[in-house]
Amino acid sequence: MAVTTEHVLQALRAVQDPDLKRDLVSLGFIKHLTVNGGSVAFQIELTTPACPVRDLMREEAKRAVSAIPGVSSVEIGMTSQVRSSMSAMPAGGLIPTIKNVIPIASGKGGVGKSTVSANLALALAKSGARVGLMDADVYGPTIPTLLGITGQPEMEEATRRIFPIEQYGLKVISMGFFMKPEEAVVWRGPMLHKTVEQFLGTVIWGELDYLLVDLPPGTGDVQLSLCQLIPITGAVIVSTPQDVALNIAQKAIAMFKKLNAPVLGIIENMSEYVCPKCGHHEEIFGTGGARRTAERMQIPLLGEIPLATPIRAASDAGRPIVLSEPGSPSAKAFFAAAEQLAARVSIRAMQGELAAPVKVTF
Amino acid sequence: MMAGTQIPVPLEIGRANEHDVKIRWQNGHESVYLARELRLKCPCAGCVDEMTGAVRVIATGVPAEVHPLAIRPVGRYAIAIDWSDGHRTGIYSFELLRTLCACEQCRTAGQ
Repeated sequence: MAVTTEHVLQALRAVQDPDLKRDLVSLGFIKHLTVNGGSVAFQIELTTPACPVRDLMREEAKRAVSAIPGVSSVEIGMTSQVRSSMSAMPAGGLIPTIKNVIPIASGKGGVGKSTVSANLALALAKSGARVGLMDADVYGPTIPTLLGITGQPEMEEATRRIFPIEQYGLKVISMGFFMKPEEAVVWRGPMLHKTVEQFLGTVIWGELDYLLVDLPPGTGDVQLSLCQLIPITGAVIVSTPQDVALNIAQKAIAMFKKLNAPVLGIIENMSEYVCPKCGHHEEIFGTGGARRTAERMQIPLLGEIPLATPIRAASDAGRPIVLSEPGSPSAKAFFAAAEQLAARVSIRAMQGELAAPVKVTF
Repeated sequence: MMAGTQIPVPLEIGRANEHDVKIRWQNGHESVYLARELRLKCPCAGCVDEMTGAVRVIATGVPAEVHPLAIRPVGRYAIAIDWSDGHRTGIYSFELLRTLCACEQCRTAGQ
């Protein structure tokens, strides 16, 4: 019996994406399917290059198709096309070329939000995604230091629009680019709103799969402006494991809920300290607090990042750990968290495609 | 995916007639808002005292025929209305709009 494309698709209908909980064919993931005698070739187009289950899906697809009688070889290419969660956006919106906007938030300061933002952004970019990082912490912009950026962004003269600075494959904009180190932002709400609007609207981001937004701590003007100006994909909450930090993190979660902005998950930073000399694990701030909070609030725990000197040292040196020591346990924790985040975004975008956006016809 | 009850979300925000606003909610419920009554319910800090919640907007100061000129979405949670009297600072959250529904069913349920 000759093998047909229909046989192959039938076999692939039995392979599920474990995150999206649907089969590869009905998700539209199978592209460029060719059958030549017993040789089958196709591409699996995932919803993110940072897919945590890509190898698993490839193996399962290969097994399923190989089992068809008459198939002698199976060639599978893996590609990705990040889906947009912005379908609710009215036409001509502020950022038509950005598919997903993900604010990184915390209830209180000092939990390592900027370090987490920079490493997540770099981990996503390393997977092959097009990533931007917007440092919206206008009061204490640290992203330029973390990424070792000293230059200033250029302006397109004709339109007065700003090009983001490209560093390590990321497109970056920060209040820090426009201020001297000894200056301080002392602004009321309307100025903050204006800045957020400019960072979104007048920066030439180009096509982006993910724009991560490093927010100031707390639940103030910048958070509110961001959620008002665009339909954000969903927020990531960073917290240390202590109860006091988690209690405040819950306030950030409550804020996003009030603004109908989904929370994609929690990342526990400074989860535990591993002594580089003896390997002893010390839970300085306690551990697992974020896991318990996540369970109680029914929000995914995206990752647990250890408290490790190399993370701090790499950040201070302007070359975050996912670049400087990609094989280290700390970097691996960031890569894993980035994959979980990408998976949640994909799920969110697929749900968004199914749910009708609010239609304003007045 | 998220804890607790979700906030109500409209499917479509349009016209009930020339001036009045109609919202069709995702659960199928329909609400009609008389233009002037919606203007008087403006939640902005100019119309409602932020601390006490006391209504500051003076009904007699609002034209009888006031009506929306345009409605804009605000993020994922609200709309802003440009009114014919020039007022435009109010952000009407979906939650507020849902509680303002004046249909027989909602009024009796609210009591």
